[in-house]
Amino acid sequence: MTARAQEPLVDIADLVIGYDTGTRQVRALDGASLQVFDDETLAIVGESGSGKTTLGMAAGRLLPPEAQLLGGRINVSGVDVTSADDAALRRLRHDRLGFVFQNPTAALDPTMRIGRQVALAMGGRPGPEAIAELLSRAELNEPQRIMRAFPHELSGGMAQRVVIAMAIARQPHLLIADEPTASLDASIREKVMATLGRLRAESGASLVILSHDLRLIARHADRVAVMYGGRIVELGPVVQVMQAPAHPYTNALLAAAAGNEAPGERLRPIPGTPPVLEARCEACAYAPRCALRQPRCEAERPEARRLAGREVVCHRAEAVIGAEQPTRQEAR
Amino acid sequence: MSGVRQIARRRLLGDGLTLFGALALGCLLFLGLFGPWLPLGDPLRIAAGPRLGAPSAQFLFGTDELGRDFLPRVVQGIRSTFLLSAIAVAITAVIGTLLGLAAGYLGRHTDQMIARGADILFAFPALVAGLLVAAVMGPGQASAITVISIATLPLFIRVVRSVTLGVAGRGFVTAAEVAGASTLRVMLVHLLPNVMGAVMVQLTYALSIGMIIESALSFLGLGVQPPDASLGSLLRQGSAYLTIAPWMVLTSGAVLSLAIMSVNLVGDAVRDALEPLKGRPLT
Amino acid sequence: MQPPVIALEQVTVTYRSGFLGGTGFDALRGVSLSVGAGETVGLVGESGSGKTTLGRVCLGLLPPTSGQMRFGGEGFGKLRHRRGQLSVVLQHPEWALNPRLRCGRSVEEPLVLTGVRAAERRERVAEILHQVGLDPSFAARLPGQLSGGQRQRIAIARALVTNPRFIVFDEAVSALDVSVQAQVLNLIRDLQERHGFGALFISHDLAATRYVSHRIAVMLNGEIVEDGPSGLFYGTPEHPYSRALLAAV
Repeated sequence: MTARAQEPLVDIADLVIGYDTGTRQVRALDGASLQVFDDETLAIVGESGSGKTTLGMAAGRLLPPEAQLLGGRINVSGVDVTSADDAALRRLRHDRLGFVFQNPTAALDPTMRIGRQVALAMGGRPGPEAIAELLSRAELNEPQRIMRAFPHELSGGMAQRVVIAMAIARQPHLLIADEPTASLDASIREKVMATLGRLRAESGASLVILSHDLRLIARHADRVAVMYGGRIVELGPVVQVMQAPAHPYTNALLAAAAGNEAPGERLRPIPGTPPVLEARCEACAYAPRCALRQPRCEAERPEARRLAGREVVCHRAEAVIGAEQPTRQEAR
Repeated sequence: MSGVRQIARRRLLGDGLTLFGALALGCLLFLGLFGPWLPLGDPLRIAAGPRLGAPSAQFLFGTDELGRDFLPRVVQGIRSTFLLSAIAVAITAVIGTLLGLAAGYLGRHTDQMIARGADILFAFPALVAGLLVAAVMGPGQASAITVISIATLPLFIRVVRSVTLGVAGRGFVTAAEVAGASTLRVMLVHLLPNVMGAVMVQLTYALSIGMIIESALSFLGLGVQPPDASLGSLLRQGSAYLTIAPWMVLTSGAVLSLAIMSVNLVGDAVRDALEPLKGRPLT
Repeated sequence: MQPPVIALEQVTVTYRSGFLGGTGFDALRGVSLSVGAGETVGLVGESGSGKTTLGRVCLGLLPPTSGQMRFGGEGFGKLRHRRGQLSVVLQHPEWALNPRLRCGRSVEEPLVLTGVRAAERRERVAEILHQVGLDPSFAARLPGQLSGGQRQRIAIARALVTNPRFIVFDEAVSALDVSVQAQVLNLIRDLQERHGFGALFISHDLAATRYVSHRIAVMLNGEIVEDGPSGLFYGTPEHPYSRALLAAV
């Protein structure tokens, strides 16, 4: 199976996934579409409940048994993930995909020395030199010492580097990293992200980062997809999206994050709470919290359209992108 | 999705087994609790039928070497095996939970002492303990209870201690300490309710271990004393006539296996119910 | 002039490990820090820098190995004697509340410990829930039914219910989503204006810290390497480590 150059590595179209909670069904994805191309870093940004983890994990069909596929399709590197049998899925995960999870200590087997776990991830019978080489590619000093160590003897940052080394061991085409630095200390987040980015660039693989940290991904991703209510509401190059958001939710997220405010300025939280969908949303899911909403927003489901170099799902995008950054309230 | 179907099948199978276990356990408990008042006949009446009579319409489980009806004897065996183990495990659970809480929360020397003590008990084979206790206290129900307690106490201490260690580091415990809550209050209000799930799971395991130990002791003649019966003493009684009257071993052995299996099945279901999502810590 | 709510002078904490305390490790080395009434002091630094140890010392959970600690100008004494005067809000909203207690019980616990009567407790709980922006009906809910942001509000309500003089916020917003973080940070600022407590805001997130704090102390390897008004951290702080932290914002 050779993918043509123009064909996306990951092609997710109109994906609908629900979770059966026993009493009712909650929609995690409400028609999410996303393409990931070769040799790029794409960040999926959203708050908890936005569906970003479901979307990321759906690429390898790594979903809990309560998850139900209700519509749409997922194609990863030529394999139709929704209909593939277990053997084909295993082969796909094994050969083409690499995963980095939020909590590195949970991803490692506590009873096994690092060297052995890395060897298993590499497959075959790699020699100690090959293992050490892989670990030093993930910028771990003293790989010999680390190979003899057990997971609990490593710091969080070191453990995450080991997990990253294991994820790239088989030269995957696609790396999926779910909040890869959220459990790490702020002072090393930047470095771990840099390592991840460098390894991705070296191998030519694509990287999908799931994160809620806008500031972090701004420095490490090529494109960003902002998720809200189970859909991708804005998707485009990081610079464009972050500097001139076209979706009011992206705008509100940027205004709510500490870090960009001037001294004495007050942060503006987004009023209300994110929606919990039980069926297809026939309006704009963000409308109840949106300052720019019009009757149309509550009556008609917006579809994705191109505007100013990105895709946006909003009836009022022109008003958002045209407006000056709203002035912040004076505080104190 | 084939994966989903697989999981569904496994669940249903699991549920079927659980249902079977729950039904079996329910029947056995009913027989054990109300056996003496059921119209099954007198377990102690000698020469109720022929000696070593095979199972028949009148004597479903046959008769023993003294001509006693074996069915009421098995029911009495269920009663003593269950009751004895349950009493022993209940006492042990209370003591073990308190010791585990103290070890996990107070730490330092208290922890050292309790954890070492549990290790020593754990390293002690139940059979050796049984012989020693029987030698000191004499054979009988009290020594059976003591031996079951010795064998299952470390189970409770260890599990409660390790869960406590996890819970004690959580924010709500620190917040209570900062608010000036006493050690006892933290242990009873904040820790105990959060280790109960783990205790419930241990209860069922301990109960099945207790039943095995009680049967083993009675089999060796160290537990329930004749003419009273326990499943273990019935097995021993039957083993003497294994070739000429195999129904005695078969019936009491089958009931004992069913009892232990049903307790374990229900225990697994309890554990699954308390831990709905894989990988979540038991709290 | 009022004495600071909490004042540490040359506090050192040494963890002993090995037989008979053979080797020692200084988690804090000669730390001096004071927090005044109505003042928030931010404490930033990487993990292992001693932030959390310093927080535990300020809460009376860990006695200093050497150095002095004063609470409102007096000796600290025992935690029992400081009931209702200090409290804490911690990281991990999912662990902040006892999952087996209804939220109202959690919030009223500090009042129970200071011996407030049941009727008054109910009133105070309802009032404080209102102040943190929650409906009083939340008192009857279990933590499992709440979102992370709501749980952290309950935890803040519990910390405030006795009107304490000093509160430690240890990574209190780190686990929250961006927009919820903004809500909680604003809430902390507003409540402080209203109640006038002194606060120590411990975080690895300089952006959030400088937003709520009046002053910021930067910790590195158990020592405070810079201590200045938070405005400084919107410009160019002096210590190279502070500048490195700022670069990551």
